[in-house]
Amino acid sequence: MESTPDTSQYLILGYAVFFIVSAIYLVSLYVRNRSLQRDLETLEGLDAEK
Amino acid sequence: MTPKPVLLKILDYLSIVLLAVATYLALVYAPTEAVMGDVQRVFYFHIGTAWVGLLGFVFAAGLGIAYLVTKDMKWDIVEVAAVEISVVFFFITIVLGSVWARPAWNTWWTWDPRLTTAAVTELIYVAYFMLRAGIDDPERRARFGAVYALLGGLSAPLTFMAIRLFRSIHPVVIGAANENQDKMNMTGDMRVAFFFALFTFTVIFIDMFWNRIRLGQLQDKVEQLKLKVM
Amino acid sequence: MPTTSHPSFIHATLAVVRKDLTAEFRSRELLSAMLVFSLLVILIFNFALELNVKERQSVTAGVLWTTFAFAGTLGLNRSMAVEKDRGCLDGLLLAPVDRAAIYFGKVISNLAFMFMVEAFVLPIYAALYNVNLFHPGLLLVILLGSIGYTTVGTLLASMTVQARTRDVLLPILLFPVAIPVLLSAVKASTGFLNGADMAEIWPPLNLLIVYDLIFTAVAFMVFDNVVEE
Repeated sequence: MESTPDTSQYLILGYAVFFIVSAIYLVSLYVRNRSLQRDLETLEGLDAEK
Repeated sequence: MTPKPVLLKILDYLSIVLLAVATYLALVYAPTEAVMGDVQRVFYFHIGTAWVGLLGFVFAAGLGIAYLVTKDMKWDIVEVAAVEISVVFFFITIVLGSVWARPAWNTWWTWDPRLTTAAVTELIYVAYFMLRAGIDDPERRARFGAVYALLGGLSAPLTFMAIRLFRSIHPVVIGAANENQDKMNMTGDMRVAFFFALFTFTVIFIDMFWNRIRLGQLQDKVEQLKLKVM
Repeated sequence: MPTTSHPSFIHATLAVVRKDLTAEFRSRELLSAMLVFSLLVILIFNFALELNVKERQSVTAGVLWTTFAFAGTLGLNRSMAVEKDRGCLDGLLLAPVDRAAIYFGKVISNLAFMFMVEAFVLPIYAALYNVNLFHPGLLLVILLGSIGYTTVGTLLASMTVQARTRDVLLPILLFPVAIPVLLSAVKASTGFLNGADMAEIWPPLNLLIVYDLIFTAVAFMVFDNVVEE
């Protein structure tokens, strides 16, 4: 009788990839958002001065 | 920058909650599959992200048409959002497919039509960003991006069909194993995890899509202001 | 009878083709580059692959189409780059001619260059590897495959020539999108070369035709957006 193989290592690998890549993307969105917000504030300041 | 709409904030939280539930369903609730063991559980997220990826790419082709017809920049912003999110999720799809293949068929890669088409499609959309990166004029960038998103979207199903033609000539053990995979019989519990994952990823897609569009709008605003001020 | 200086679509298209072909025959830069390149590719394959008699059967179509694809890219790049550098593109655009005529003219001249390369490569490969390649079916596949490849390639080359990363970008954009053409062409070519049943050859051939039709139609609808200055 065949027993179910223990492939839990790959399971962990798979889900780790999912969460890590998702996290990287979310962080990238957040960082880009912040940097653009700062640019916007700077530019709006320059614009107001004109 | 307009403050985040309440609806979007709700969607953000909802996405997180749904993802938590989907993860629980996939990892705990669903029974362990007899033949492959625990690694089969990646399947739920593999399909979920594949669904998101495909959705985004099909969208992008349509959005490309919308831009070419209207020449309204907003379509370009939305199109970039769709492609970017799809690239990320489809990448996950491909890696999960590979992770699943390794213990199941003792190889990190199978040249089966779906996985190979996914890889080719992913390359198309990475190329999309390389094209855009090489063009400075925003209007031209939008036009060319739209054309390529359309061409890419049309070629993907044809790629799938072309690869399927090749499979029939190659006698490959992996192919046989894949047939089994296609006919995977899911128990009731598995089906719950499966459909819930699809639902979750659809919500996540909408949430990320909206967020990414807002980012694009902010970027557009900054660029306009830059031209005005400098 | 309307007296307009607008040349008809066909005239305009043929004028573009004639311009490209005569320019090329005077300088022969493009063609010689493509031919030499093709020979090099075949040579490299000789070392890279085990092209013994048995393997040849399964690998010939792949080697040929890889050669055509790379040489084709070279041709596409140079053909568009020459236009851009000499400012011909602007001149063409000023002419009172439907842009589509310019596009189709370019497709036809690029196709002509590709055919010339193929006409050169086929006998050489046949001689080097003692394979009979003059099968009408194979020639049909080469025709259809080249059409699909050049149609999309000209469109993409028109875009990449205006980007900063010009030369490198075309293969990156073209190859993934051209995979249906390349795969179907190889499958159908192999079928014809090995004397397979039409039932086996028809699916890839069909796909090739479908691809050509779809992308010719799309290119026609979209070209305007790609050559506007």
